Amino acid sequence: MLVAGCLPGSAVARTLHVSPSEPRTSLAAALQEARDGDRIDVEGGTYAAPVEISRSVELVGRGWPTIDGGGTGTVVRLRAAGIRLAGFRVRGSGSTLEAEDAAIAVDGPDAVVEDNRIEDALFGILLSKADRSVVRRNRIAGKNLDEARRGDAVRAWYTHDLRLEDNEVARGRDVVIWYSRGASIRRNHVHDGRYGIHFMFCDDALVESNRLADNSVGTYLMYSRRVRLRRNWIAGNRGPSGYGVGLKDMDDAVLEENLLLDNRIGVYIDNSPRELDAATRMSGNVVAYNDVGLEMQPLLRRNFLSDNSFADNQEQVVISGGGELRGNFWSVAGRGNYWSDYRGYDADGDGIGDLPYRAQRFFEHLADRRPELRLFLYSPVTAAIDLAARAFPLIQPQPKLEDERPLMRPAAPPGWSPPAAPRGWRFAAASGGLLAIAGLFSLSPSLPTPARRRPAPGGPAPTRTTEIMLHMHEVSRRFGRLVAVDRLSLDVRRGEAVALWGRNGAGKTTALRCALGLLSCDGAVQLGGLDVRAHGKDCRRSVGFVPQEIRFHDDLAVAETLEFYARLRGVGAPSLGALDRLGLADQLPKRVGELSGGRKRLLAFAVALLGDPPLLLLDEPMSNLDPVVRESFFDLLAEMKAAGTTLLFTSHRPEEVFRLADRVIVLERGRRVAEGAPGDVGALLGGGPRLHIGLPAERIEEALALLGGHGLASCRNGRGLHVAVAPFDKAKPIRILVANGFPVEDFDVEWEKRS
Amino acid sequence: MELRNVWIIGQKELRDARRSRWLLLFGIAFSLLSLSLAWLGLSSFFGSGVAGFGRTAASLVNLVLLLVPLIGLTLGALAVAGERERGTLLCLLAQPVAAGEVLYGKFLGLSLALGASLAAGFGATGAVIAWRAGGAQVGAYLAMVGLAALLAMAALALGLLISCLTRSGAGAAGAALFAWLALAFLGDLGVMASALALKLDIRALLAVSLLNPLQAFKLAAVVAVRGGGEVLGPAGAFAADRFGAALLPIAVSILAAWIVAPLGAAGVVLRRRGAV
Repeated sequence: MLVAGCLPGSAVARTLHVSPSEPRTSLAAALQEARDGDRIDVEGGTYAAPVEISRSVELVGRGWPTIDGGGTGTVVRLRAAGIRLAGFRVRGSGSTLEAEDAAIAVDGPDAVVEDNRIEDALFGILLSKADRSVVRRNRIAGKNLDEARRGDAVRAWYTHDLRLEDNEVARGRDVVIWYSRGASIRRNHVHDGRYGIHFMFCDDALVESNRLADNSVGTYLMYSRRVRLRRNWIAGNRGPSGYGVGLKDMDDAVLEENLLLDNRIGVYIDNSPRELDAATRMSGNVVAYNDVGLEMQPLLRRNFLSDNSFADNQEQVVISGGGELRGNFWSVAGRGNYWSDYRGYDADGDGIGDLPYRAQRFFEHLADRRPELRLFLYSPVTAAIDLAARAFPLIQPQPKLEDERPLMRPAAPPGWSPPAAPRGWRFAAASGGLLAIAGLFSLSPSLPTPARRRPAPGGPAPTRTTEIMLHMHEVSRRFGRLVAVDRLSLDVRRGEAVALWGRNGAGKTTALRCALGLLSCDGAVQLGGLDVRAHGKDCRRSVGFVPQEIRFHDDLAVAETLEFYARLRGVGAPSLGALDRLGLADQLPKRVGELSGGRKRLLAFAVALLGDPPLLLLDEPMSNLDPVVRESFFDLLAEMKAAGTTLLFTSHRPEEVFRLADRVIVLERGRRVAEGAPGDVGALLGGGPRLHIGLPAERIEEALALLGGHGLASCRNGRGLHVAVAPFDKAKPIRILVANGFPVEDFDVEWEKRS
Repeated sequence: MELRNVWIIGQKELRDARRSRWLLLFGIAFSLLSLSLAWLGLSSFFGSGVAGFGRTAASLVNLVLLLVPLIGLTLGALAVAGERERGTLLCLLAQPVAAGEVLYGKFLGLSLALGASLAAGFGATGAVIAWRAGGAQVGAYLAMVGLAALLAMAALALGLLISCLTRSGAGAAGAALFAWLALAFLGDLGVMASALALKLDIRALLAVSLLNPLQAFKLAAVVAVRGGGEVLGPAGAFAADRFGAALLPIAVSILAAWIVAPLGAAGVVLRRRGAV
């Protein structure tokens, strides 16, 4: 279809239609047919590439017609002046950097490339000697390649007065302008590239209101004059250089009202200005949350900075290689800059600090000279160093800059409003997950316990049929110089009750602990036929132990304590009947810390009996028990002995030994000094029992006379008297005293060694 | 070793930890401080969402470096020495359990308790970040939580080793405090001084500093949040360049080694020393 129209001042212009369904389906044919000034409307569909436009025509897509290069060469080339290309999806350029394969190449002046979508392109739009061209509202996405293999998203070469506006650019290498004057680059969004905007020898340019985020470098301006950079949002640029703005050999650059946020280095100034009569002016910018706010070389001069806000940069100002900044101006017309680490005050309320701002952090000073020390950034030591330097001004470095008119408050660029925070559902979900984990472990009363695995067949297990339940051979244990147990050998047979007898410090407790494998020792120890050192855990399955000093976790209830140890032993909790026998049935809810010493001992005994072990090791089992409980306890142990339980216990109480033990082993200074039946112990030790009898003081003398009359040797002792007695007739003096009307208040049995 | 016994003792430790004033104090302090840092970090004179996640992440890294090793070392140090001093360790080891099971059970329980405290602090902080800067890097944040948990476990393991080597709870707490000072301050100070005095090259500086688990955590966290080590100057850039994608696994491996080695040594010491 051909429609004639009029173009002012020219011959009749025509509009040609190209569509996949119409007779004219070839874009190339339409272009061949078109004359200068014609318009070609192209309906949606896919059209063959390459497309070369050699006449000044308008090529307008409707319904997003696609020109697909299929991955070869340049897709669309604009060769003539004044061509307009709009509304196309241009995709699939080649991938050869040397050939500069591009989606759109513009080789003539006055071109307009607008409202196109460029996808999968090595180079997006290449302009060469295309003065006064306009590139606007295009969406340009590069190929998904490593940065080093990408082409430039936009490249202009000798293209004066270029207008680059409102484009969205992603995943390119650079938006780069070479040798071009008067460029106007406005309102573009460039992200995920290398250099967001890159100038080489471009004078008199304006870069305004662009958003340059998440590139390696926001904008890198080089070898140009009179470039004005204003009101741009430059954030998150964190590549190896990571500059928000880099200025290299720039003269008369102006940076104003830009937001430079969260870059590695907010502004990097390298040899700018380079001419003696030139200057760099920075004013009204917000330089915040960068690792380094401003980095400059020490020899730079004529940089004028005022009304900027340097807020919460990890380092506010860095001097490359260290030194001081001289010949630069940190305030203009009486106004300096805002520094978030300023510690001065404003007494006169004029908004300007009364003390100068000095950048002199000690760690920064060190890091400027030795940059590798930045490895310690974020470490507590950096804050400590700075604190020390402030506390001891002698070690404080020279300030690298001094702003004599620091502003007291930061200032956002006029008319600027913060962006709305995007929704954070994923972050909220992750946080919820973390809180749920915390709740699970903080609130759950108990977590499931896996079932006990049955012992592996053939694994070590103490035998219940071995005759020797405990075998100790040449066991020694030292604590420093003290020999607690000295070459002790003993055997305890099945069903035996053996007492280890001796004074305090004789080594009884240490011997028991060695027997259980709780203390390392020399010599050999076997429990149930197994070596305690190699199979301590298996050995202890067949042993119940009551220590001398009972220490359970005081904050656990009695029931919880029993349950905990029952689970450790892999057995069920004791029956209420058994607990009742020990007087613990009504103590179950009580905390262990609330129990008396005697009840704690009974609890220890209940723990020792868990799983009905064939061997009990009891360390002073009767201590802290009152007489009634002691008697009941004796009965219980006697029953257990009668039922075949093997007992090894320590004691220094004769009555315990005489009533329970089949055999007594006497220890002295860690050595076995005697062994025999309880009845022989007196002879073995060369001593015998004696009673301490408590009586009213006024009747002690009378009692001494009475007992002497019955042939009992006695003497006064404190609030009573001592009487030597025969091992099997210890109650004789009590019988005599009671029969003669003496009020016996108390008695105790001791062993008296008689040499 | 029976995992069941490890789990039973771990549960007991977790239960005790719920009642621990130390841990409660840490949980509250960590949560409040991290919440405040996130709030302040994301609030700004220039409007919320402007500051970006990086500033908050840096503050949190700093907080973790200070607080987590302190509580990890302290809890670990009190775990065995305290029980030994009170005599409860004797009752425990008199049961059919191995010393290693007791030790690893304590490590497990305390790790879970400390992990729960960290999860509470990071969870609450994450909610603030989600609200104030929703587009933040959730993956990086979770990686930082995981790394903080690893650091906590490394500090716990070191604390347990101290605990097995000392007799009293007070002695263990003192030694833990000194270890914290050494890791958080003195060690780094020594490396910095050495770097200045001996002119250590970057390779040596990086290697020596990474012997400190706190530095390994920091490097890993920075890599996770920033995608590279360049923020840490030439040494960080060298690490990123030399090790590339392996940098994060290397730092994590260093942390893992700081868990495994002290724990193994503590096991040996506890087996040799026994219950008293």
